[in-house]
Amino acid sequence: MKPVVLIAVNFVREQRWPIFVLLLWVLLLAFLGLITEVPRGRDDLLFVFKQVAVYAVVFSIFFGGSAIYNERRSRRILAVLAKAVAREQYLSGLVFGVTLACGIYCFSLGITGSWTLGQAGFPALQVWFLMMCLLAACMLAGTVALMFSTFLNPFFSAGATAFLLGVPAVASRTLSTHWGYLLPVYSLTATVLKTTFDSPGSVTWLPVAWAFGETLLFWFLAARIFSRVDIAVAVE
Amino acid sequence: MAAVLEFDCLTKEYHSFPGRCLRALDNFSLRVEPGEIFGFLGPNGAGKSTAIHLAMGFMRPTRGSGTLLGQPFGQAAARRRVGFLAENVALYHRRAERLLRFYGALNGMAGSRLDQRAQKVLEMVGLHEQAKRNVGRFSRGMLQRVGLAQALIDDPELLILDEPTSALDPSARVAVRELLLKARSAGKTIFLSSHLLSEVEMVCDRVAVLHHGKLVCTGRTTDLLAAGEQLELVARGIPAGLFPGAVAENGVIRFSIPASAQRATAEAIWSKSGEIVSMNPRRRSLEDIFLEVTSEADKEDKVQ
Repeated sequence: MKPVVLIAVNFVREQRWPIFVLLLWVLLLAFLGLITEVPRGRDDLLFVFKQVAVYAVVFSIFFGGSAIYNERRSRRILAVLAKAVAREQYLSGLVFGVTLACGIYCFSLGITGSWTLGQAGFPALQVWFLMMCLLAACMLAGTVALMFSTFLNPFFSAGATAFLLGVPAVASRTLSTHWGYLLPVYSLTATVLKTTFDSPGSVTWLPVAWAFGETLLFWFLAARIFSRVDIAVAVE
Repeated sequence: MAAVLEFDCLTKEYHSFPGRCLRALDNFSLRVEPGEIFGFLGPNGAGKSTAIHLAMGFMRPTRGSGTLLGQPFGQAAARRRVGFLAENVALYHRRAERLLRFYGALNGMAGSRLDQRAQKVLEMVGLHEQAKRNVGRFSRGMLQRVGLAQALIDDPELLILDEPTSALDPSARVAVRELLLKARSAGKTIFLSSHLLSEVEMVCDRVAVLHHGKLVCTGRTTDLLAAGEQLELVARGIPAGLFPGAVAENGVIRFSIPASAQRATAEAIWSKSGEIVSMNPRRRSLEDIFLEVTSEADKEDKVQ
Protein backbone atom coordinates (compact mmCIF):
# COMPACT_ATOMS: atom_id res chain seq x y z
CA MET A 1 0.00 0.00 0.00
CA LYS A 2 2.85 2.39 0.81
CA PRO A 3 4.26 2.48 -2.76
CA VAL A 4 0.72 3.18 -4.05
CA VAL A 5 0.36 6.22 -1.77
CA LEU A 6 3.88 7.41 -2.62
CA ILE A 7 3.24 7.17 -6.37
CA ALA A 8 -0.13 8.91 -5.98
CA VAL A 9 1.29 11.79 -3.94
CA ASN A 10 4.17 12.05 -6.38
CA PHE A 11 1.69 12.21 -9.27
CA VAL A 12 -0.18 15.08 -7.62
CA ARG A 13 3.11 16.85 -6.99
CA GLU A 14 4.14 16.46 -10.63
CA GLN A 15 0.72 17.77 -11.76
CA ARG A 16 0.68 20.67 -9.31
CA TRP A 17 0.55 23.37 -12.01
CA PRO A 18 -2.47 22.00 -13.91
CA ILE A 19 -4.20 21.48 -10.55
CA PHE A 20 -3.37 25.05 -9.60
CA VAL A 21 -4.85 26.32 -12.88
CA LEU A 22 -8.01 24.25 -12.19
CA LEU A 23 -8.27 25.77 -8.74
CA LEU A 24 -8.27 29.22 -10.31
CA TRP A 25 -11.72 28.40 -11.71
CA VAL A 26 -12.91 27.58 -8.22
CA LEU A 27 -11.52 30.94 -7.13
CA LEU A 28 -13.50 32.53 -9.96
CA LEU A 29 -16.69 31.02 -8.53
CA ALA A 30 -15.81 32.36 -5.09
CA PHE A 31 -15.14 35.78 -6.62
CA LEU A 32 -18.53 35.72 -8.40
CA GLY A 33 -20.13 34.80 -5.08
CA LEU A 34 -18.60 37.91 -3.58
CA ILE A 35 -19.62 40.36 -6.30
CA THR A 36 -23.01 38.93 -7.34
CA GLU A 37 -26.22 40.06 -5.79
CA VAL A 38 -27.11 36.53 -4.76
CA PRO A 39 -30.96 36.56 -4.81
CA ARG A 40 -31.00 37.98 -8.35
CA GLY A 41 -28.03 36.16 -9.86
CA ARG A 42 -28.47 32.75 -8.26
CA ASP A 43 -29.21 30.97 -11.55
CA ASP A 44 -26.05 32.44 -13.05
CA LEU A 45 -24.09 31.24 -10.06
CA LEU A 46 -25.49 27.73 -10.45
CA PHE A 47 -24.62 27.79 -14.15
CA VAL A 48 -21.00 28.75 -13.41
CA PHE A 49 -20.87 26.12 -10.65
CA LYS A 50 -22.01 23.40 -13.07
CA GLN A 51 -19.61 24.55 -15.74
CA VAL A 52 -16.65 24.59 -13.36
CA ALA A 53 -17.70 21.16 -12.05
CA VAL A 54 -17.66 19.55 -15.49
CA TYR A 55 -14.06 20.68 -16.09
CA ALA A 56 -13.01 18.12 -13.49
CA VAL A 57 -14.20 15.23 -15.67
CA VAL A 58 -12.37 16.60 -18.72
CA PHE A 59 -9.17 17.07 -16.73
CA SER A 60 -9.41 13.59 -15.22
CA ILE A 61 -9.34 12.19 -18.79
CA PHE A 62 -6.27 14.26 -19.60
CA PHE A 63 -4.59 13.32 -16.31
CA GLY A 64 -5.30 9.60 -16.82
CA GLY A 65 -4.51 9.59 -20.53
CA SER A 66 -1.11 11.22 -20.22
CA ALA A 67 0.22 9.82 -16.94
CA ILE A 68 2.01 6.73 -18.28
CA TYR A 69 3.10 8.44 -21.49
CA ASN A 70 4.77 11.33 -19.62
CA GLU A 71 6.57 8.96 -17.29
CA ARG A 72 7.77 6.73 -20.10
CA ARG A 73 8.81 9.63 -22.27
CA SER A 74 10.86 11.20 -19.49
CA ARG A 75 12.16 7.71 -18.57
CA ARG A 76 11.44 8.42 -14.91
CA ILE A 77 9.28 5.31 -14.84
CA LEU A 78 12.44 3.15 -14.96
CA ALA A 79 13.80 4.30 -11.60
CA VAL A 80 10.38 3.72 -9.99
CA LEU A 81 9.76 0.27 -11.47
CA ALA A 82 13.37 -0.71 -10.70
CA LYS A 83 12.34 -0.69 -7.04
CA ALA A 84 10.09 -3.23 -5.33
CA VAL A 85 7.02 -1.86 -7.10
CA ALA A 86 4.81 -4.23 -9.08
CA ARG A 87 3.15 -2.87 -12.21
CA GLU A 88 -0.32 -3.21 -10.69
CA GLN A 89 0.85 -1.16 -7.72
CA TYR A 90 2.20 1.45 -10.09
CA LEU A 91 -1.15 1.68 -11.89
CA SER A 92 -3.03 1.79 -8.57
CA GLY A 93 -0.81 4.70 -7.60
CA LEU A 94 -1.74 6.53 -10.79
CA VAL A 95 -5.49 5.83 -10.36
CA PHE A 96 -5.24 7.03 -6.77
CA GLY A 97 -3.20 10.04 -7.92
CA VAL A 98 -5.78 11.05 -10.55
CA THR A 99 -8.54 10.61 -7.94
CA LEU A 100 -6.54 12.63 -5.41
CA ALA A 101 -5.97 15.46 -7.90
CA CYS A 102 -9.68 15.53 -8.78
CA GLY A 103 -10.53 15.13 -5.08
CA ILE A 104 -8.61 18.30 -4.25
CA TYR A 105 -10.59 20.09 -6.95
CA CYS A 106 -13.96 18.65 -5.88
CA PHE A 107 -13.26 19.46 -2.22
CA SER A 108 -12.37 23.07 -3.05
CA LEU A 109 -15.40 23.34 -5.31
CA GLY A 110 -17.56 21.79 -2.58
CA ILE A 111 -16.44 24.41 -0.06
CA THR A 112 -16.88 27.30 -2.49
CA GLY A 113 -20.15 25.90 -3.88
CA SER A 114 -21.73 25.27 -0.49
CA TRP A 115 -20.86 28.86 0.47
CA THR A 116 -21.96 30.64 -2.72
CA LEU A 117 -24.96 28.44 -3.52
CA GLY A 118 -25.82 28.12 0.19
CA GLN A 119 -26.29 31.90 0.28
CA ALA A 120 -28.79 31.53 -2.55
CA GLY A 121 -30.75 28.89 -0.67
CA PHE A 122 -29.33 25.71 -2.19
CA PRO A 123 -28.98 22.86 0.36
CA ALA A 124 -25.27 22.56 1.28
CA LEU A 125 -25.52 18.79 1.81
CA GLN A 126 -26.73 18.44 -1.75
CA VAL A 127 -23.62 20.26 -2.96
CA TRP A 128 -21.46 17.64 -1.23
CA PHE A 129 -23.51 14.83 -2.77
CA LEU A 130 -22.97 16.39 -6.20
CA MET A 131 -19.24 16.57 -5.47
CA MET A 132 -19.29 12.88 -4.56
CA CYS A 133 -20.98 12.14 -7.93
CA LEU A 134 -18.39 14.28 -9.69
CA LEU A 135 -15.48 12.59 -7.95
CA ALA A 136 -16.84 9.13 -8.82
CA ALA A 137 -17.24 10.23 -12.46
CA CYS A 138 -13.67 11.62 -12.49
CA MET A 139 -12.25 8.46 -10.99
CA LEU A 140 -13.95 6.23 -13.55
CA ALA A 141 -13.17 8.52 -16.52
CA GLY A 142 -9.52 8.82 -15.41
CA THR A 143 -9.17 5.05 -15.02
CA VAL A 144 -10.71 4.37 -18.46
CA ALA A 145 -8.27 6.89 -19.96
CA LEU A 146 -5.41 5.26 -18.06
CA MET A 147 -6.44 1.85 -19.39
CA PHE A 148 -6.33 3.15 -22.97
CA SER A 149 -3.03 4.94 -22.32
CA THR A 150 -1.33 1.62 -21.54
CA PHE A 151 -1.26 1.00 -25.30
CA LEU A 152 -2.22 4.31 -26.95
CA ASN A 153 -0.68 7.77 -26.93
CA PRO A 154 -2.49 10.49 -24.92
CA PHE A 155 -4.30 11.92 -27.94
CA PHE A 156 -5.80 8.61 -29.01
CA SER A 157 -6.45 7.47 -25.46
CA ALA A 158 -8.44 10.66 -24.80
CA GLY A 159 -10.37 10.05 -28.04
CA ALA A 160 -11.01 6.41 -27.22
CA THR A 161 -12.15 7.34 -23.71
CA ALA A 162 -14.50 10.01 -25.03
CA PHE A 163 -15.94 7.49 -27.48
CA LEU A 164 -16.38 4.74 -24.87
CA LEU A 165 -17.98 7.11 -22.37
CA GLY A 166 -20.06 8.72 -25.09
CA VAL A 167 -21.74 5.50 -26.27
CA PRO A 168 -23.85 5.00 -23.08
CA ALA A 169 -24.59 8.74 -23.11
CA VAL A 170 -26.00 8.59 -26.62
CA ALA A 171 -27.84 5.32 -25.85
CA SER A 172 -29.42 6.81 -22.74
CA ARG A 173 -30.71 9.77 -24.73
CA THR A 174 -31.98 7.78 -27.70
CA LEU A 175 -32.98 4.40 -26.25
CA SER A 176 -33.48 4.33 -22.52
CA THR A 177 -31.99 6.21 -19.55
CA HIS A 178 -30.91 2.86 -18.11
CA TRP A 179 -28.14 2.70 -20.72
CA GLY A 180 -26.52 5.64 -18.92
CA TYR A 181 -25.61 3.29 -16.07
CA LEU A 182 -23.55 1.06 -18.34
CA LEU A 183 -20.62 3.42 -17.78
CA PRO A 184 -22.10 5.92 -15.36
CA VAL A 185 -19.79 8.86 -16.10
CA TYR A 186 -22.50 10.49 -18.17
CA SER A 187 -25.32 9.80 -15.70
CA LEU A 188 -23.20 11.08 -12.78
CA THR A 189 -22.23 14.24 -14.68
CA ALA A 190 -25.84 14.68 -15.74
CA THR A 191 -26.87 14.55 -12.07
CA VAL A 192 -24.66 17.62 -11.54
CA LEU A 193 -25.76 19.34 -14.75
CA LYS A 194 -29.51 18.80 -14.31
CA THR A 195 -29.70 20.05 -10.76
CA THR A 196 -31.67 23.29 -10.20
CA PHE A 197 -32.70 25.38 -7.23
CA ASP A 198 -36.23 24.09 -7.66
CA SER A 199 -35.22 20.42 -7.94
CA PRO A 200 -31.84 19.80 -6.32
CA GLY A 201 -32.36 16.09 -7.06
CA SER A 202 -32.65 13.06 -4.83
CA VAL A 203 -29.61 11.45 -3.27
CA THR A 204 -29.08 8.15 -5.12
CA TRP A 205 -25.86 6.38 -4.30
CA LEU A 206 -26.25 3.50 -6.74
CA PRO A 207 -24.44 5.16 -9.71
CA VAL A 208 -21.66 6.28 -7.35
CA ALA A 209 -21.18 2.75 -6.05
CA TRP A 210 -21.45 1.39 -9.61
CA ALA A 211 -18.73 3.82 -10.75
CA PHE A 212 -16.42 2.59 -7.96
CA GLY A 213 -17.03 -1.00 -9.07
CA GLU A 214 -16.30 -0.21 -12.71
CA THR A 215 -13.18 1.70 -11.72
CA LEU A 216 -11.91 -1.53 -10.16
CA LEU A 217 -12.80 -3.42 -13.33
CA PHE A 218 -10.96 -0.99 -15.61
CA TRP A 219 -8.00 -0.90 -13.23
CA PHE A 220 -7.84 -4.69 -13.48
CA LEU A 221 -7.98 -4.53 -17.29
CA ALA A 222 -5.31 -1.83 -17.34
CA ALA A 223 -3.08 -3.91 -15.05
CA ARG A 224 -3.43 -6.98 -17.31
CA ILE A 225 -2.48 -4.97 -20.39
CA PHE A 226 0.28 -2.98 -18.70
CA SER A 227 1.95 -6.15 -17.38
CA ARG A 228 2.65 -7.08 -21.04
CA VAL A 229 3.94 -3.71 -22.18
CA ASP A 230 7.66 -3.13 -22.84
CA ILE A 231 8.06 0.07 -20.88
CA ALA A 232 11.69 0.67 -21.78
CA VAL A 233 10.89 1.07 -25.47
CA ALA A 234 10.80 4.69 -26.66
CA VAL A 235 7.21 5.95 -26.82
CA GLU A 236 7.67 8.32 -29.78
CA MET B 1 26.37 -21.94 -6.19
CA ALA B 2 23.21 -20.32 -7.59
CA ALA B 3 23.77 -17.55 -10.12
CA VAL B 4 22.85 -14.03 -9.06
CA LEU B 5 21.78 -13.18 -12.57
CA GLU B 6 21.16 -15.69 -15.32
CA PHE B 7 20.05 -15.28 -18.90
CA ASP B 8 18.91 -18.54 -20.43
CA CYS B 9 18.66 -18.65 -24.25
CA LEU B 10 17.01 -15.25 -24.37
CA THR B 11 15.81 -13.78 -27.61
CA LYS B 12 14.24 -10.37 -27.89
CA GLU B 13 12.71 -9.10 -31.09
CA TYR B 14 11.24 -5.68 -31.69
CA HIS B 15 8.39 -5.65 -34.16
CA SER B 16 7.31 -2.55 -35.98
CA PHE B 17 4.77 -1.77 -38.65
CA PRO B 18 4.69 -3.05 -41.40
CA GLY B 19 6.05 -6.42 -40.43
CA ARG B 20 9.62 -5.30 -39.76
CA CYS B 21 11.51 -7.16 -37.09
CA LEU B 22 14.74 -6.27 -35.31
CA ARG B 23 16.41 -8.98 -33.26
CA ALA B 24 18.14 -7.18 -30.37
CA LEU B 25 19.16 -10.37 -28.54
CA ASP B 26 19.70 -13.72 -30.16
CA ASN B 27 19.69 -16.86 -28.02
CA PHE B 28 21.68 -15.08 -25.35
CA SER B 29 22.87 -17.02 -22.30
CA LEU B 30 25.02 -15.75 -19.44
CA ARG B 31 25.61 -16.45 -15.76
CA VAL B 32 26.79 -13.91 -13.22
CA GLU B 33 28.17 -15.46 -10.05
CA PRO B 34 27.82 -13.98 -6.56
CA GLY B 35 30.51 -11.59 -5.35
CA GLU B 36 32.01 -10.69 -8.72
CA ILE B 37 32.18 -7.55 -10.77
CA PHE B 38 31.01 -8.53 -14.22
CA GLY B 39 31.78 -6.29 -17.18
CA PHE B 40 29.21 -6.27 -19.94
CA LEU B 41 30.69 -4.85 -23.13
CA GLY B 42 29.57 -4.28 -26.66
CA PRO B 43 29.34 -1.64 -29.37
CA ASN B 44 26.35 0.70 -29.56
CA GLY B 45 23.22 -1.21 -30.47
CA ALA B 46 24.72 -4.56 -29.48
CA GLY B 47 21.79 -5.30 -27.13
CA LYS B 48 23.36 -4.55 -23.74
CA SER B 49 20.60 -2.24 -22.50
CA THR B 50 17.96 -4.63 -23.85
CA ALA B 51 19.49 -7.46 -21.81
CA ILE B 52 19.54 -5.27 -18.70
CA HIS B 53 15.96 -4.12 -19.23
CA LEU B 54 14.84 -7.72 -19.61
CA ALA B 55 16.58 -8.61 -16.35
CA MET B 56 14.86 -5.71 -14.59
CA GLY B 57 11.47 -6.76 -15.94
CA PHE B 58 10.97 -3.61 -18.02
CA MET B 59 10.50 -5.83 -21.06
CA ARG B 60 9.32 -9.34 -21.81
CA PRO B 61 11.52 -11.71 -23.79
CA THR B 62 10.30 -13.04 -27.13
CA ARG B 63 11.81 -16.43 -26.24
CA GLY B 64 13.82 -17.84 -23.37
CA SER B 65 13.88 -16.95 -19.71
CA GLY B 66 16.14 -15.78 -16.94
CA THR B 67 16.44 -15.36 -13.20
CA LEU B 68 17.35 -12.43 -11.01
CA LEU B 69 18.47 -13.43 -7.52
CA GLY B 70 16.86 -16.83 -8.02
CA GLN B 71 13.47 -15.47 -9.17
CA PRO B 72 12.13 -15.19 -12.71
CA PHE B 73 12.64 -11.79 -14.35
CA GLY B 74 9.99 -9.22 -13.50
CA GLN B 75 9.36 -10.08 -9.84
CA ALA B 76 9.08 -7.00 -7.60
CA ALA B 77 10.33 -8.98 -4.59
CA ALA B 78 13.64 -9.69 -6.36
CA ARG B 79 14.05 -6.05 -7.38
CA ARG B 80 13.95 -5.06 -3.69
CA ARG B 81 17.47 -6.52 -3.42
CA VAL B 82 18.74 -4.91 -6.62
CA GLY B 83 20.12 -1.43 -7.23
CA PHE B 84 19.68 -0.20 -10.78
CA LEU B 85 21.13 2.77 -12.59
CA ALA B 86 19.83 3.47 -16.11
CA GLU B 87 22.03 4.73 -18.93
CA ASN B 88 20.19 8.05 -19.20
CA VAL B 89 19.45 9.01 -15.64
CA ALA B 90 15.97 10.54 -15.31
CA LEU B 91 14.80 11.51 -11.85
CA TYR B 92 12.07 13.68 -10.36
CA HIS B 93 12.99 17.27 -9.73
CA ARG B 94 13.18 17.65 -5.98
CA ARG B 95 15.80 18.01 -3.29
CA ALA B 96 18.44 15.28 -3.52
CA GLU B 97 17.84 14.09 0.04
CA ARG B 98 14.05 13.93 -0.40
CA LEU B 99 14.44 12.17 -3.71
CA LEU B 100 16.54 9.45 -2.13
CA ARG B 101 14.01 9.08 0.67
CA PHE B 102 11.28 8.68 -1.97
CA TYR B 103 13.15 5.88 -3.76
CA GLY B 104 14.07 4.23 -0.46
CA ALA B 105 10.44 4.36 0.70
CA LEU B 106 9.35 2.73 -2.57
CA ASN B 107 11.57 -0.17 -1.53
CA GLY B 108 9.88 -0.38 1.87
CA MET B 109 12.46 1.55 3.87
CA ALA B 110 11.25 3.94 6.57
CA GLY B 111 12.13 5.98 9.63
CA SER B 112 15.60 6.76 10.89
CA ARG B 113 17.17 3.95 8.86
CA LEU B 114 16.03 5.63 5.67
CA ASP B 115 17.17 9.07 6.82
CA GLN B 116 20.60 7.80 7.82
CA ARG B 117 21.00 5.76 4.69
CA ALA B 118 20.05 8.75 2.48
CA GLN B 119 22.75 10.82 4.19
CA LYS B 120 25.28 8.03 3.89
CA VAL B 121 24.79 7.34 0.19
CA LEU B 122 24.97 11.05 -0.61
CA GLU B 123 28.29 11.07 1.22
CA MET B 124 29.42 7.97 -0.68
CA VAL B 125 28.85 9.69 -4.03
CA GLY B 126 30.29 12.99 -2.82
CA LEU B 127 27.05 14.96 -2.85
CA HIS B 128 26.40 15.44 0.88
CA GLU B 129 26.91 19.19 0.53
CA GLN B 130 24.28 19.29 -2.23
CA ALA B 131 21.68 17.36 -0.21
CA LYS B 132 19.28 20.31 0.00
CA ARG B 133 19.61 21.32 -3.66
CA ASN B 134 17.00 20.49 -6.26
CA VAL B 135 18.12 17.71 -8.58
CA GLY B 136 16.64 19.64 -11.52
CA ARG B 137 19.49 22.12 -11.21
CA PHE B 138 22.22 19.48 -11.16
CA SER B 139 24.79 19.00 -13.93
CA ARG B 140 24.75 15.71 -15.86
CA GLY B 141 27.61 14.33 -13.81
CA MET B 142 25.92 15.21 -10.53
CA LEU B 143 22.69 13.68 -11.80
CA GLN B 144 24.56 10.47 -12.55
CA ARG B 145 25.92 10.47 -9.01
CA VAL B 146 22.42 10.96 -7.54
CA GLY B 147 21.31 8.11 -9.78
CA LEU B 148 24.03 5.94 -8.31
CA ALA B 149 22.98 7.02 -4.82
CA GLN B 150 19.37 5.94 -5.44
CA ALA B 151 20.67 2.59 -6.69
CA LEU B 152 22.63 2.17 -3.45
CA ILE B 153 19.91 3.44 -1.11
CA ASP B 154 18.73 0.03 0.15
CA ASP B 155 22.22 -1.51 0.34
CA PRO B 156 21.42 -3.95 -2.49
CA GLU B 157 22.94 -7.39 -2.99
CA LEU B 158 23.21 -6.85 -6.73
CA LEU B 159 24.03 -3.63 -8.52
CA ILE B 160 23.08 -3.36 -12.20
CA LEU B 161 24.77 -0.30 -13.63
CA ASP B 162 24.33 0.84 -17.23
CA GLU B 163 27.17 3.25 -18.10
CA PRO B 164 27.57 4.56 -14.53
CA THR B 165 30.58 6.77 -15.22
CA SER B 166 29.90 8.09 -18.73
CA ALA B 167 29.21 11.67 -17.55
CA LEU B 168 31.72 11.78 -14.71
CA ASP B 169 35.00 13.69 -14.51
CA PRO B 170 38.20 11.68 -13.89
CA SER B 171 38.24 12.19 -10.10
CA ALA B 172 34.58 11.16 -9.78
CA ARG B 173 35.35 8.11 -11.93
CA VAL B 174 38.10 7.08 -9.54
CA ALA B 175 35.69 7.55 -6.62
CA VAL B 176 33.05 5.36 -8.31
CA ARG B 177 35.68 2.73 -9.11
CA GLU B 178 36.71 2.63 -5.45
CA LEU B 179 33.07 2.43 -4.44
CA LEU B 180 32.56 -0.59 -6.70
CA LEU B 181 35.64 -2.34 -5.35
CA LYS B 182 34.47 -1.68 -1.78
CA ALA B 183 31.03 -3.06 -2.64
CA ARG B 184 32.65 -6.22 -4.01
CA SER B 185 34.72 -6.70 -0.87
CA ALA B 186 31.47 -6.36 1.10
CA GLY B 187 30.17 -9.38 -0.87
CA LYS B 188 27.99 -7.51 -3.37
CA THR B 189 27.70 -8.49 -7.01
CA ILE B 190 28.03 -5.85 -9.69
CA PHE B 191 26.87 -6.14 -13.28
CA LEU B 192 28.52 -3.27 -15.10
CA SER B 193 27.77 -2.23 -18.64
CA SER B 194 30.29 0.27 -19.94
CA HIS B 195 32.10 1.61 -22.97
CA LEU B 196 35.03 2.72 -20.86
CA LEU B 197 37.17 -0.36 -21.40
CA SER B 198 40.08 0.84 -19.27
CA GLU B 199 37.68 1.13 -16.32
CA VAL B 200 36.27 -2.30 -16.95
CA GLU B 201 39.77 -3.74 -17.22
CA MET B 202 40.68 -2.27 -13.85
CA VAL B 203 37.68 -3.45 -11.82
CA CYS B 204 36.01 -6.41 -13.50
CA ASP B 205 36.67 -10.04 -12.56
CA ARG B 206 34.94 -11.34 -15.67
CA VAL B 207 33.76 -9.77 -18.88
CA ALA B 208 31.41 -10.66 -21.70
CA VAL B 209 31.29 -9.04 -25.13
CA LEU B 210 27.98 -8.78 -26.91
CA HIS B 211 27.79 -8.05 -30.63
CA HIS B 212 24.65 -7.87 -32.76
CA GLY B 213 22.72 -9.49 -29.92
CA LYS B 214 25.05 -12.47 -29.67
CA LEU B 215 27.63 -13.29 -27.04
CA VAL B 216 30.97 -13.34 -28.85
CA CYS B 217 33.42 -13.57 -25.97
CA THR B 218 33.30 -14.27 -22.26
CA GLY B 219 35.90 -15.12 -19.66
CA ARG B 220 38.04 -13.97 -16.74
CA THR B 221 39.61 -10.58 -17.46
CA THR B 222 43.08 -11.78 -16.49
CA ASP B 223 42.83 -14.86 -18.71
CA LEU B 224 41.65 -12.84 -21.70
CA LEU B 225 44.46 -10.34 -21.28
CA ALA B 226 47.07 -13.09 -20.91
CA ALA B 227 45.84 -15.15 -23.88
CA GLY B 228 47.90 -14.71 -27.03
CA GLU B 229 50.64 -12.88 -25.12
CA GLN B 230 53.13 -11.15 -27.37
CA LEU B 231 56.71 -9.97 -26.97
CA GLU B 232 58.08 -6.78 -28.43
CA LEU B 233 61.60 -7.25 -29.67
CA VAL B 234 64.26 -4.67 -30.56
CA ALA B 235 67.39 -5.93 -32.35
CA ARG B 236 70.28 -4.57 -34.41
CA GLY B 237 72.81 -5.86 -36.89
CA ILE B 238 70.24 -7.71 -39.02
CA PRO B 239 68.08 -6.69 -41.99
CA ALA B 240 64.44 -5.79 -41.25
CA GLY B 241 63.21 -8.03 -44.07
CA LEU B 242 64.23 -11.10 -42.10
CA PHE B 243 61.16 -10.92 -39.84
CA PRO B 244 57.60 -10.22 -41.03
CA GLY B 245 56.24 -6.93 -39.75
CA ALA B 246 59.63 -5.65 -38.59
CA VAL B 247 60.17 -1.88 -38.82
CA ALA B 248 63.64 -0.33 -39.09
CA GLU B 249 64.24 2.92 -37.22
CA ASN B 250 67.32 4.65 -35.75
CA GLY B 251 69.60 1.73 -36.60
CA VAL B 252 67.46 -0.91 -34.91
CA ILE B 253 64.52 -3.04 -35.98
CA ARG B 254 61.31 -3.51 -33.96
CA PHE B 255 58.80 -6.29 -34.28
CA SER B 256 56.38 -8.41 -32.28
CA ILE B 257 56.41 -12.16 -31.88
CA PRO B 258 54.25 -14.67 -30.01
CA ALA B 259 55.70 -15.54 -26.59
CA SER B 260 56.05 -19.14 -27.71
CA ALA B 261 58.47 -18.10 -30.50
CA GLN B 262 60.86 -16.37 -28.09
CA ARG B 263 63.71 -18.92 -28.17
CA ALA B 264 63.54 -19.62 -31.91
CA THR B 265 63.56 -15.91 -32.77
CA ALA B 266 66.50 -15.16 -30.45
CA GLU B 267 68.49 -18.02 -31.97
CA ALA B 268 67.66 -16.79 -35.49
CA ILE B 269 68.97 -13.30 -34.65
CA TRP B 270 72.16 -14.66 -33.10
CA SER B 271 72.75 -17.03 -36.03
CA LYS B 272 72.77 -13.99 -38.35
CA SER B 273 75.29 -12.28 -36.02
CA GLY B 274 72.61 -9.86 -34.84
CA GLU B 275 72.20 -8.51 -31.31
CA ILE B 276 69.06 -8.34 -29.18
CA VAL B 277 68.71 -4.86 -27.64
CA SER B 278 65.52 -5.59 -25.67
CA MET B 279 62.75 -8.13 -25.44
CA ASN B 280 59.67 -7.02 -23.44
CA PRO B 281 56.22 -8.51 -22.96
CA ARG B 282 53.67 -6.56 -24.96
CA ARG B 283 50.48 -6.33 -22.87
CA ARG B 284 47.17 -6.63 -24.66
CA SER B 285 44.46 -4.31 -23.48
CA LEU B 286 40.78 -5.05 -23.21
CA GLU B 287 40.37 -2.62 -26.08
CA ASP B 288 42.53 -4.86 -28.31
CA ILE B 289 40.45 -7.88 -27.36
CA PHE B 290 37.20 -5.98 -27.85
CA LEU B 291 38.18 -4.79 -31.33
CA GLU B 292 39.49 -8.24 -32.23
CA VAL B 293 36.36 -10.16 -31.24
CA THR B 294 33.91 -7.66 -32.68
CA SER B 295 35.71 -7.47 -36.03
CA GLU B 296 35.91 -11.28 -36.16
CA ALA B 297 32.19 -11.43 -35.47
CA ASP B 298 31.59 -8.90 -38.24
CA LYS B 299 33.61 -11.03 -40.67
CA GLU B 300 31.62 -14.15 -39.71
CA ASP B 301 28.37 -12.23 -40.20
CA LYS B 302 29.49 -11.18 -43.68
CA VAL B 303 30.44 -14.75 -44.60
CA GLN B 304 27.01 -15.97 -43.48
